[in-house]
Amino acid sequence: MSSLAAGRTANAAQAAFRVLVVDDDPDMAGFLARLLVKQGMQADIVSDGFAALKQIAASPPDMVLLDVQMPGPDGFEICRRLKGSDTTALVPVVLVTALEDHDSRVRGIEAGADDFLSKPVRREELVARVQTLRRLHETRKELEGRRLEAEVREKEAIRKTFSRYLSPRLAERVLSSPHGEDLFRDLSDRTAVVALFADLRGFTRLSETVPVSSIVPMLNEFFTVLTGAAHENEGTVFSMAGDSMLIGFNVPVAQADAAARALNTGRSLIQRFAPVAARWRKEHGLSTGVGVGIEAGEAVAGNVGAPSFMSYTIIGDPVNVAARLMQRAAPNEILIGPGAARALGTALGGAGNLERRKVELKGKAEPVEVVLLKVVAA
Amino acid sequence: MSQPIVVTVAKDLEDLVPTFMKNRGKELETLRTALAAGDFDQMRQLGHRMKGVGNSYGFEKVSLLGKQVEDGAKAGDKDALGACLAEYADYLARVQIVYE
Repeated sequence: MSSLAAGRTANAAQAAFRVLVVDDDPDMAGFLARLLVKQGMQADIVSDGFAALKQIAASPPDMVLLDVQMPGPDGFEICRRLKGSDTTALVPVVLVTALEDHDSRVRGIEAGADDFLSKPVRREELVARVQTLRRLHETRKELEGRRLEAEVREKEAIRKTFSRYLSPRLAERVLSSPHGEDLFRDLSDRTAVVALFADLRGFTRLSETVPVSSIVPMLNEFFTVLTGAAHENEGTVFSMAGDSMLIGFNVPVAQADAAARALNTGRSLIQRFAPVAARWRKEHGLSTGVGVGIEAGEAVAGNVGAPSFMSYTIIGDPVNVAARLMQRAAPNEILIGPGAARALGTALGGAGNLERRKVELKGKAEPVEVVLLKVVAA
Repeated sequence: MSQPIVVTVAKDLEDLVPTFMKNRGKELETLRTALAAGDFDQMRQLGHRMKGVGNSYGFEKVSLLGKQVEDGAKAGDKDALGACLAEYADYLARVQIVYE
């Protein structure tokens, strides 16, 4: 037995195949229902077009046997409506017509009927047609179910990938938008980004002093604080290496206020880390803090690596500048590069504790004018 | 007395047949009334129904008469329709059912 056939058997065991018989002649309806029940199916009867539409809307059957002439909407009209609706388009419809009524058959085909049954009805013909359509319908349902399962699995895999980088809220928003997952599939375009690098100041001494077994939990605590601040501002966490983290904004989802989000993230992660630093100082007698560098500009976003290990990242000048600014930043300082400062514009004016200075950065011929923001960590 | 007309019907329809026969009797009366009133459209519809349901149960004659009623009604042929209804009445009076 094929797996599809096995699936059908299991389904059949769970619920009877439900057929709606629509006929205004109670003798004909009773006859059809009797033959269907003998085939192990469930048969419900309605005697006019309106009742048929109501019943189908309330509980779509697995198949409809439809007389043509009856009170209310006739068989053609009902068939057209069923085939025109997303919820019932796949329900097989068998029109029960007189054998010589060719005109009805043509109109039935035009209305979307799946098959025809001749009146007077021969039971062998009824059984053969209904069973064939049942098999087709169940196979189609089974395949559709598998397709949906595969789609759910694929979406879940993408969701997992997303959640490595994005805040759960942003990941959900991206995935729920039509073709949202495509954002991660084809990302090799140059795009405007705001890059934020943050690292743990005092880590070298920490790693020399604290027992190795404590280093990993401490780093995990540090990165948890940083990730919380990034997600709060819907930043994308691109990498964690050693004691530093790269967070991007305006990528993969456009953010008109990307620079402001980056600045808020920088402030937030310094402030969030302050109580942790205070505790570490108490426990280990060591001074730690967070240094932050931010720069905006054009970068390339994409999946980089070997086929067996790919990583979604951003590459480009603003990323390099942000990294070097981070290296220059003292604990609880944010160094903002010229691109990010321009993007922040007047928003930067109200930040307080500002200082403009020129710094020399590796790889830059001229000193770069940066803005230094000292964050008061309460 | 006329000879009975034996019709064999599937055993699994046995409980449906008394209602089926009762409905045929009512149908005959409605056809007679419609013929008297010259309501050929109603006769055509009833003939069409007889044609479909009769032989489904195994009553071939009902289907044949149904076709004649439908055709006679379409043609507006009162004489032919009258003869058909007489034949239908005779058939219903003589039919004997055997279940197998």
